Amino acid sequence: MMYRSLLSMMIGLALLTTTAANAQLTDADEIVERANNASYYAGDDGRSAARMLIVDGDNQQQRQFVLLRKDVEDGGDQRYLVVFSRPADIRGTVFRVEKKVGQADDRWLYLPALDLVRRISSGDKRTSFVGSNFFYEDISGRDLAEDQHELIETDADYYIIESTPRDPSSVEFAAFQTWIDRETMLPMRTEYRRDNGEVYRRMEVTQVEVIDGYPTGTEVRMSDLDSGGYTITQFAFSEYDIGLPDDIFSERSLRNPPRQWLRRD
Amino acid sequence: MGRRIAEFAMDHPRAVFIATLLITLLGTALIPLIQIDTDPENMLPSEQEDRVRHNLIKEQFNLHDMIVVGVVNEQNSNGVFNPQSLTALHALSEGIAGIDGVIRRDLLSLATVDNIEQGGVGTIRFEQMMGTPPQTTEQALAIREATLSLPLFADTLISSDGGATAIYVPIEAKDQSYRIANEIRDLISELDTQDDFHITGLPVAEDTFGVEMFIQMAISAPLAALVIFALLWWFFRSVTLIIAPMLMAFAVVLTTMGALIGMGYTVHIMSSMIPIFLMPIAVVDSVHILSEFADRYRPEKGARKTMSEVMGHLFTPMLYTSITSGIGFASLAFTPIPPVQVFGLFVGAGIILAFVLTIIFIPAYAVAINPERLSKLRAGSQESSADETGLARSLIRLGTFATARARFVVIVFAGSLLVAGYGISQIVVNDNPVRWFQSQHPIRVADEVLNRHFAGTYSAYFRLESNVAEQAPARFKTRVDEILNNAEAQGITLSETWAEISDPIAADTTEFEAYLEQVSVEVEDALFFADTEKLAGLEQLLEATDEARGDLNFWQRPENLAYIAEMQEALAESPQVGKVNTLADLVRTVYRELLSGDDADYQIPETRQGVAQTILSFQGSNRPHDLWRMVTQDYQAANLWLQLTSGDNQDMQQVIDLADAYIAENPLPNGVTASWGGLNYINVVWQNAMVKGMAQSLAVAWVMVALMMFLLFRSIIFGLLAMVPLTVSIALIYGVVGLIGKAYDMPIAVLSSLTLGLSVDFAIHFIERSREYYQATGRFTESMRLMFKEPARAISRNAIVIAVGFLPLLAAPLVPYNTVGIFLASIMAASALASIVLLPAILTLLQKWLMPDRKPSTTQESTS
Repeated sequence: MMYRSLLSMMIGLALLTTTAANAQLTDADEIVERANNASYYAGDDGRSAARMLIVDGDNQQQRQFVLLRKDVEDGGDQRYLVVFSRPADIRGTVFRVEKKVGQADDRWLYLPALDLVRRISSGDKRTSFVGSNFFYEDISGRDLAEDQHELIETDADYYIIESTPRDPSSVEFAAFQTWIDRETMLPMRTEYRRDNGEVYRRMEVTQVEVIDGYPTGTEVRMSDLDSGGYTITQFAFSEYDIGLPDDIFSERSLRNPPRQWLRRD
Repeated sequence: MGRRIAEFAMDHPRAVFIATLLITLLGTALIPLIQIDTDPENMLPSEQEDRVRHNLIKEQFNLHDMIVVGVVNEQNSNGVFNPQSLTALHALSEGIAGIDGVIRRDLLSLATVDNIEQGGVGTIRFEQMMGTPPQTTEQALAIREATLSLPLFADTLISSDGGATAIYVPIEAKDQSYRIANEIRDLISELDTQDDFHITGLPVAEDTFGVEMFIQMAISAPLAALVIFALLWWFFRSVTLIIAPMLMAFAVVLTTMGALIGMGYTVHIMSSMIPIFLMPIAVVDSVHILSEFADRYRPEKGARKTMSEVMGHLFTPMLYTSITSGIGFASLAFTPIPPVQVFGLFVGAGIILAFVLTIIFIPAYAVAINPERLSKLRAGSQESSADETGLARSLIRLGTFATARARFVVIVFAGSLLVAGYGISQIVVNDNPVRWFQSQHPIRVADEVLNRHFAGTYSAYFRLESNVAEQAPARFKTRVDEILNNAEAQGITLSETWAEISDPIAADTTEFEAYLEQVSVEVEDALFFADTEKLAGLEQLLEATDEARGDLNFWQRPENLAYIAEMQEALAESPQVGKVNTLADLVRTVYRELLSGDDADYQIPETRQGVAQTILSFQGSNRPHDLWRMVTQDYQAANLWLQLTSGDNQDMQQVIDLADAYIAENPLPNGVTASWGGLNYINVVWQNAMVKGMAQSLAVAWVMVALMMFLLFRSIIFGLLAMVPLTVSIALIYGVVGLIGKAYDMPIAVLSSLTLGLSVDFAIHFIERSREYYQATGRFTESMRLMFKEPARAISRNAIVIAVGFLPLLAAPLVPYNTVGIFLASIMAASALASIVLLPAILTLLQKWLMPDRKPSTTQESTS
């Protein structure tokens, strides 16, 4: 029932177009920067409850977690806290991320059943996020400086950006293309390609709502085109600028999650 | 009867030729539709329960058939762990991932797997083992150390001596493996490296066999034809005459194969041998006809009259020998193995077709030949059929010996039967598709090398499945009622709150897991708004819900994982099992790296939640889906992947027995059932079915042939006598198989029917002719003397034709073909000997009752 109101919340969307987005942009770096801000830096902080459905053939797994975010600076460093509630056996598992633009993020994992805090070495950020088809990097955003961006087309709705990695050996893709909504500046679709041009991975935003004035992708689908598996993430109860205190993003929060900020009312 | 049919054919030779040509052309036209099938799974009917379960297990755990590519470097002291070799391996792995039909996601190589290790104090690191090729020897050796330290990879991706590595290539379908293996070879040839590459795995062996089998069919059958042609020419010295049986044999082979293919049957290992079986058998009757025809032909009598006489004379024995041979093969339909059934039925049908063509085509051909050529034939054939040839003289001596030393002969045969009986008791039932290739074949070499270096290139899957979900809803309801009643007892009404939460969800969800998940979410929501007095009850309900949900994750429970860990250890102790890979390994490895990286922490976490969270950590790697090859996503079925060093069925059987014994002593966790899957297991199933099925089919055929013999000879005693040579031959052949330690595999199994069908022919001819001579002369001794002239020669000739006709099989590079060739030649020798030595010896001993001397019969010569 908590997802039922999504449609009604979308109605205002068409009206809310910023003047900046109306003007046609031509600089690829500016476009990706704005897109990055729109999708990862809305407000000074934010909270939402996420539900992941991981589909692999006939099998499904679920994950449920609350995502807390606070920006250190817009378009710059950020802090994340991801607190899991489902499946029941992983309840209380927490990820803490200190995102640092231009250098490796710091990531910690707390496993309550083992009462264990572990730093996760940043060897690779393109590994699975809790078994889903999303990568860590998809959740917290990929450093814009890691790729070269080129605006290859602008159509009525989208800026289409082609991005190629500066260090091809550090990633599994050869290039990716992003369709950025000209009005909301949200990346609506991203397709990752191999050397031979084959698209093997696709991100699609399938639902957008305007929340507290910020267009927000509330349903995102990531597909593995090799296996046919996919993951759908739905965000509900999203809120921005709620005044999250700094101290909830500390190591202490791993063992004692800030309960009052995790309620979904 | 025979006379009339022959006369009809001789009246309409043109019609006979055209009809023969038409069916042959029709058959030939269908042959291009051929579908080769070498999949041993098809040895079982598609609905067979083990096969169905095998496929279910494959689907349940995302298992695919695998090609194994091994990389060995004997020159470098670090083996392949040097920058150059690993760079090549990295390129090869990337190349293989791109091959059509390869399941990229599940490709296992150093370049695709993750390393899990401690990255400093309190840090765990998941990263690609070899995301980029190493630049220095130190980096290469670091990869070696890391791989060796991970139990799931040691002995699988890296040899235990740390020198060799392997790539496991999962493929979409087995019948693509020959093509994929070739594409891999192409990739290898472009690499800049000194390493040795070996490609093996059951699917490659099977598919490669199919390709080579196809080539062999095109070589062996024509070669057999050539050999038979040469042999017939040596017997009859007339190309004109022997062209007829040769043409007829081609007509039979092409029509039978065309019919088989046209009816939609695939050509399997057994059916690929149909041409080479039919070729010699088809000409055997013609050899009888031509022998007699050449003997009796006089230009003044004419071909037509001579042929009528010959056909009148030979029709009945030929009819019976054809039917009995047909029955021998058709009895294979009683085996539970479809390819063997198809083989038996079509060879049986081919034999009957050969009989029909023999009695119409050969006479029609004879009258169509220019009489002048026939005269020449007479001169030529007389020369070779005279009593003065080596063969003739030996046969006469043999006859004298058999009758004079009858008691000795029977004792020798009886003695050899005893030895054969012991031999049969020693028979080892075994097969292994890799051994279908000769020992120097690249696949055999690869098999030997890789199984020496690694834990094994053969896979069996042992599934442990829990029925925990069955009783879960009832258990949950009991627990909920308990909580609600307790609350009620304290004057708190929770039932309505519960019903408001639970009922809509129950109506909305079909899966109990989903119901629990949803209930848990909503109970938690309700906790925020609930009155203080209800809090305790709701918290109990939440706990009960989460417990019920967690309980369903059967293989996350530490005690159950411990069972797997102990079982895999016990299984791995057997020499046949190189290694067992399980969820317990994965959990213990990740747990170890989460804690300290020390071996002391290679443990299963103490709680179910601990296991779940350990697994969640693993799911943050590059290959979280590797988990689902070891356990299903509902954690109710676990899969033990056994790597076996041998593809021998008997080794798999031992592993099965070992697992059974282990379970008998260490009962499975409550509600768990165990079952096997994997190609090696399937091979064992159909092999066991075959052994039982062959015994049945042999028994059925024996009884049917015996009944026909009673009918033919109108005598129980002569009927039984006719069964003696084939019974002795079969016993001797299988005795030899057991004594020399040759494994009883499919080709060997099929030989029994073959023996039954072919060696009864000799006995029929021998007894039929003996009785004729006895009737004519009234003297046993005289009858036997005559028997060792023309009749013994005809029998020997036929034995030689068939034996030699199968000899081209020895030239094939495929072992099953060789086996059939060698054993057929031996069977022919054994059954011909049994017919012309043992039968007269027994007749001599029983002469007083069977053929007492009396006056020559006054009745006319038997003409049937």
